[in-house]
Amino acid sequence: MSSTDTTMQSIPRTGRLVPIVVFIVAIALIALTPFLGNYYIRVVNGLLIYILLGIGLNIVIGYAGLLDLGFVAFYAVGAYTYGLLASAQLGIHLPFLLIVLIAALLGMLVGILLGVPVLKLRGDYLAIVTLGFGEIIRILVNNVDWLTGGPKGIARLDKASIFGIEIARPVDFYWLLLVTVFIVATIVWRMEKSILGKAWAAIREDQDAARGIGINTTNAKLAAFATSATIGSIAGVIFAASQRFVSPESFSLQESVLIVLMIVIGGIGNILGIIAGAAILILLPEVLREFAEWRILFLGLLMIALIILRPAGIVPRSFGPERLIRGLFGK
Amino acid sequence: MLGTIIQQTVNALTIGSIYALIALGYTMVYGVLRMINFAHGEMFMLGAYAAFLGLSIFIGDIGGAGAFALTAIFFGAVIAVGLVGVGIERIAYKPLRNSTRLAPMLSSLGVSLSLVTGIQILAGPQPVGFPSFFPATRLDVLGGTVTLVQIGILIAAFVLMFGLYMLVNRSRAGIIVRAVSESRPTAQLLGINVNLAISLVFFSGPLLGAAGGILYASYYGIMSPSMGAVIGLKAFTAAILGGIGSIPGAMLGSFILAFVEVAGTALLPIVSGGILGTEYRDVLSFTILILVLLVRPAGILGTPVSEESMVYKREF
Amino acid sequence: MKFIVSLSFGVSLIAAPSFAKDVTIGLAGPLSGPQAYFGSTWHNGFKLYIDKLNAAGGVNGTTVKIDQEDDKADPREGTLVAQKFCDNEDVVIGLVNFNSGVAQSTLPIYEDCTLPTMTFGSNPALTQQGYKYMVRPVANDFAGALLPAEYALQKLGAKSAIVVNDKQVFGQGISEIFGKNFTAGGGKLLDTLSVAPTDVDFTAVLAQIKTKNPDVIYLGAVMPQLALFAKQMHEQGVKATLLVPDGGYTPDYISQAGHANVQGSLVAVQAPPMDASPAIADFAKQYKEKFGSEAGPYSIYGYVQGQILEAVLKNAKGLTRADMNTGLHNVKVDTAIGHLEFDDVGELKVAPSYLYKVDGDKFTLIGQK
Repeated sequence: MSSTDTTMQSIPRTGRLVPIVVFIVAIALIALTPFLGNYYIRVVNGLLIYILLGIGLNIVIGYAGLLDLGFVAFYAVGAYTYGLLASAQLGIHLPFLLIVLIAALLGMLVGILLGVPVLKLRGDYLAIVTLGFGEIIRILVNNVDWLTGGPKGIARLDKASIFGIEIARPVDFYWLLLVTVFIVATIVWRMEKSILGKAWAAIREDQDAARGIGINTTNAKLAAFATSATIGSIAGVIFAASQRFVSPESFSLQESVLIVLMIVIGGIGNILGIIAGAAILILLPEVLREFAEWRILFLGLLMIALIILRPAGIVPRSFGPERLIRGLFGK
Repeated sequence: MLGTIIQQTVNALTIGSIYALIALGYTMVYGVLRMINFAHGEMFMLGAYAAFLGLSIFIGDIGGAGAFALTAIFFGAVIAVGLVGVGIERIAYKPLRNSTRLAPMLSSLGVSLSLVTGIQILAGPQPVGFPSFFPATRLDVLGGTVTLVQIGILIAAFVLMFGLYMLVNRSRAGIIVRAVSESRPTAQLLGINVNLAISLVFFSGPLLGAAGGILYASYYGIMSPSMGAVIGLKAFTAAILGGIGSIPGAMLGSFILAFVEVAGTALLPIVSGGILGTEYRDVLSFTILILVLLVRPAGILGTPVSEESMVYKREF
Repeated sequence: MKFIVSLSFGVSLIAAPSFAKDVTIGLAGPLSGPQAYFGSTWHNGFKLYIDKLNAAGGVNGTTVKIDQEDDKADPREGTLVAQKFCDNEDVVIGLVNFNSGVAQSTLPIYEDCTLPTMTFGSNPALTQQGYKYMVRPVANDFAGALLPAEYALQKLGAKSAIVVNDKQVFGQGISEIFGKNFTAGGGKLLDTLSVAPTDVDFTAVLAQIKTKNPDVIYLGAVMPQLALFAKQMHEQGVKATLLVPDGGYTPDYISQAGHANVQGSLVAVQAPPMDASPAIADFAKQYKEKFGSEAGPYSIYGYVQGQILEAVLKNAKGLTRADMNTGLHNVKVDTAIGHLEFDDVGELKVAPSYLYKVDGDKFTLIGQK
């Protein structure tokens, strides 16, 4: 099902219609969103944050084939970096972009610190250790009251601004997130096509064979962990800046699981799949809001149905961005 | 001091035996399918609700119920949940048996979400008081307080676990299950009915989980739709700690986890000189889990599973 | 039918300050997940009163519509709901957020779109951040934890206490205030212990408490933890008197803990006894008739918020958000739980607080302030 079927021959089969339609719909949605009501823009912003998180986690799960159930810890690192460096909590008020940089470095550092001891574990054991790590971070944040405010969290965070332009309204965050998602997605997509990406694919397909042909699997895995942590942390900064409030309950285990689900349901290892998965798991409950708990029941059943009917995800791994681009420009 | 030690030991044994009943379900499913069944915590919850339903239909008032009626309801409920478990496997996991390793796990997340919400819609989201199956008698043992409920739970849990041990190690059905756990392809080649083994596991795992749920609801006097989530995660942690796939491992892991939790509450503030309070109990549990896995990557009693089945090879 | 319509139209032309328009009230609280019970029963209390109001023809001809949304007790969901209410011109008051943590992230949004709210979160910090569009019709935790501390010291003659909290905004906040009041009054705080908000087993904590032998234990948490703790406390042979906050003021506290296990436990609430006034007894009866189950621990506050709304609408000069905000800040109303009015930051001027003792199957009033 999920064979990496990205050869040139497979392109004419679907023709160019699908890529063109996808492209037009995407452009139309992007262009229309700013004209919608603030509520809709906020919903889309939430979607974009999850897409950003999905792109980050997908590096570890989809590219390197490691199941990480504690991704939300990095998200928390970023959010609390903003919370502490742009509020009255410590009396520090740094500019937004500087905090993004600090949080990215900090996220990377935490990713490496976690990665070094745990990456020799495999499969389900890696999953449970990362889960434990995520829970430890959340409990620590909830308990170190003198620093993080404990369960109360940190309120009244500074309004973000970039080069003197204030980022405060939902629509400002929409553009910020859109640009961030685009940049991050492009970088990650290029990484996947690089030597490093090939190493990840080799590890995913067969770790021992990868080691056999001289790939330093530990370093490649560490790189995956660090990149993914960096992206998670950046997403956390933007989340905190848009909520202007951080508290531990935003970083529960369910969030980590939600992001994993998003990736798998959408189509693992594929940026377009993440967008599809986010649309189903984030947008659908919002659209069905008036059905209260029935919508959660529906979501649960839909999840089962989708996984059974399309175990490799809604968007197959082969229908990636390059397919979209080639389809559009006829190459 | 001795009284406190006795009291804490009994407390840990009680929690541990409830964890163990659930952890066994995780470990058995993992044994045959190499799958983490995230919906297993919900079997625990269903057990309590099924027993409550049985009580309100057949008895109405627990005060007037005889021991026989209570036992009948207990077994009726756990068997019903066992059948639900088999049904869920047929619908939600069987079609995915030859799919990626991740697929059935995520399907089980969908099952879990559906069951919790379904019960929430049917029975309401609020916690409901649950009658005690045991008389509320307190005993004084060398200055420590032990309740009859705790002793009842310990006995019931050990009887059930012994039953499972006999089933797995001393019966024909157990041989089938063990053969499939060892290697599914080989068992299939030898003409063993793999479907039967899997159904057996999905019957007995939820059955034990449901029994745990009833004992739990009866011990704490309460049940709620979300009760499976927290305890499920703990039992799962215990199963991993002991070595997932190993039945004695699940039991050992459960008691270790329970003792770590009790020790965390009792000793953490004293050992750390007041810096780390009782709120760091779960941090201690997870830290110990991580340390154990770093030293013994397959858990305490787990045999290092063959590379082939552990690595996510061409799996997603 | 036509006749009635034209008649009511005519009446509305004659009656001076009346508006034939509807108003919508936005309700946000947890309706799914573990806290759904609190959110939905609180909202039900409000609905109960509003349905009565509408059945009687509304206030000055204005009927009240309800837009009920689920915030899942999650700050992120809360902000989406807040924005939804803000964008909807018809929503003139928000009855929002059961959790102080969610309120922290939604209040700035309501403030930006000038939508007045009746906030439910009782954390004292909420009113100290300069919000102009909020009132809090429930007593904050300062009031809720003073009376029990005084009572324990003076009436019970307690010398030592242990404080246990669930590491949530409410539980931790209120138990810290209790601890301060208790030490300020000359008592000795032996220890502060924390449990996880999802915990159901307190036996290990209790066995430790037993060795310190305190006179009273204050438990800052919510149901069902309160009942579980009380039950296990008794079973583990801890002799201290248990004091709990308002979440315990429900028959569930007694039934889920077990009758014998909660005798003598003290509950501090803002609400007067259920049988103290005919209004409250009447409320409890109506609730059961309408929803088929006993009122939840916070239902009465929803009902009272309905009464506040009625008073605001009665005296309103118009139906805009600004009118409602002025109305809320100036309201003086006699409700089922007593007279209410707000000070300039939106806090209750007099926050009555009552202390009950569990006595048999009932709560007996033993002190008030």
